Amino acid sequence: MRLNSIGKKIIRVDGLSKVKGKALYPQDIYMEGMLYGKTLRSSRPHAYINIDTSRAEKIDGVVKVFTYKDVPGKNCHGVLFKDHEVFCSERVRRVGDPIAFVVATNKKAVEEAIEVIDVNYEDIEAVFDPLEAMKEESVKIHGNSNIIYHYKLRKGDVEEAFKRCHVIVESEYKTPMVEHAFLQPEAGIAYTEDDGTIVVCASTQYPHFDQIEVAEALEVNKDKVKIINPAVGGAFGGREDITLQIHLAIAAKVTGRPVKAVYSREESFLAHSKRHSMIMRYKTGCNKDGKLLAMEAEIIGDTGAYASWAINVLRKAGVHATGPYEIPNVKVDSYAVYTNNPFAGAMRGFGATQVPIAHEQQMDMLSEKLNMDPVTFRLKNIFKKGSKTATGQVLEESVPIDRCIKEVADRIGITPLSERGGVV
Amino acid sequence: MKKIKLTVNKKEYMLEIKEDTRLIDLLRDVLGFTGVKEGCGEGECGACTVIMDGDIVNSCLVLAFQADGKEIITIEGVESEEEIHPIQQAFLDVGAVQCGFCTPGMILSAKALLDKNPSPTREEIRAAISGNLCRCTGYNKIVDAIERAALYLKRGK
Ligand code: FES
Ligand code: FES
Repeated sequence: MRLNSIGKKIIRVDGLSKVKGKALYPQDIYMEGMLYGKTLRSSRPHAYINIDTSRAEKIDGVVKVFTYKDVPGKNCHGVLFKDHEVFCSERVRRVGDPIAFVVATNKKAVEEAIEVIDVNYEDIEAVFDPLEAMKEESVKIHGNSNIIYHYKLRKGDVEEAFKRCHVIVESEYKTPMVEHAFLQPEAGIAYTEDDGTIVVCASTQYPHFDQIEVAEALEVNKDKVKIINPAVGGAFGGREDITLQIHLAIAAKVTGRPVKAVYSREESFLAHSKRHSMIMRYKTGCNKDGKLLAMEAEIIGDTGAYASWAINVLRKAGVHATGPYEIPNVKVDSYAVYTNNPFAGAMRGFGATQVPIAHEQQMDMLSEKLNMDPVTFRLKNIFKKGSKTATGQVLEESVPIDRCIKEVADRIGITPLSERGGVV
Repeated sequence: MKKIKLTVNKKEYMLEIKEDTRLIDLLRDVLGFTGVKEGCGEGECGACTVIMDGDIVNSCLVLAFQADGKEIITIEGVESEEEIHPIQQAFLDVGAVQCGFCTPGMILSAKALLDKNPSPTREEIRAAISGNLCRCTGYNKIVDAIERAALYLKRGK
């Protein structure tokens, strides 16, 4: 077989424009007669709101202040559930929720107008702890339960298997939310073409889906919306949800002029998702020889005020909960839970990144209790070609984890525990 | 308003500016050098790096009037008419470019270093780009590229 690319050194197609500083990110696009837009965001985590834009509208240079009343079509969006509002209508559910979008002829007017929009907040009890949020009596963020997903994995009989274990370790692990901090803050520009097509130019990971969401909010046919994705300055999952696309599209449609918005770093932090923080309770047991027999895990992912990809993320956390180890008896329950925290969504690894904090610590503690060195312990239990995962998948292709572990152990100079007199 | 005179990429400009205009806004919005990037606006990320009289500065922290009488180089002024600069070539060859948003700043920091120190150690390279954040590459390839650029530059002479 002749391969054209594999094994060859290829220079990326957009490399040259990037080293020359010629690659266009949305903030680099300037159009004749363009207006500037800026979002007013909630300063409260959970409140009923009342908005008065009249003072802002009177400021010299302000063309319009958009709120939920100005959304022509559906005032909602979301990759799995339509639980985000384009602009909050009655209630804000997190700090950073979009309330209004000011459009003006110059940046100064935009800033001034944002300051004088009156938002009357009537605070509601908020919940920030996902364990509290799971309780029946907790205040609800959307609908009548904060638990939006429960993934169950059952293999064998863990209860019976734990009885046969020589060593069992039990522990709870917590990982925090994480910000993607891609280097290019969100920016975009939208305009109308002669035939009425709305064009939104924004760095996104999901242009074909943005097109649907913009069309639904504008109440136009999909073919009347064009999404242009120019250079993207990093994303890492943080550009999978809508941020400014719909705001810009509505503003361009209503004003008939190009509208541009560029987020500051601070607004970028507020606008997009985070990595799910997780609480992971693990119980893992093995026999005298160090063979894993059973594992039980409960994983609770805090998805904040919106679901975004929570279901896929918590499913993946559950599927990967055993780590790369063969365990005959497994019980996993993972949950995605709404709170009033910043919303969580996609971030590199998509739920598979948090669980190693737990399963690897469990491996270390088990090997310590057994007085076995942690490398040997892992090598006894890892997936090999032909292994069956907890979800029943048979790994038929190459599974070279043994080589990886040996190589790592070698390079960091791990001496087997037995040779160090059993002390870690 | 204030009158200033400055050189950007070998071209002289006489401009009238507001006192509170930042250098980055002058370069991007007025002069069109959009290779100057804004990642934070507060001196943390280095995406807005330009060379001013031979030294790198964060153009988001410099007011435009402070550039009066100075000579500025942005990424657009690094290449010659015939070819891209050896540092740019090295970034391409090594694969030190991913999303590219840090790249202009990185290349300018590298240039300021190599103009003064043609044979830097890896440590010196790391120190020279310590004000430039990259969220994509993990930095190693960027350090490799700058090492490679030092070789290209020597060979070229
Ligand atoms: S934009 Fe100037 S240092 Fe980040
Ligand atoms: S290449 Fe993306 S930030 Fe450096």
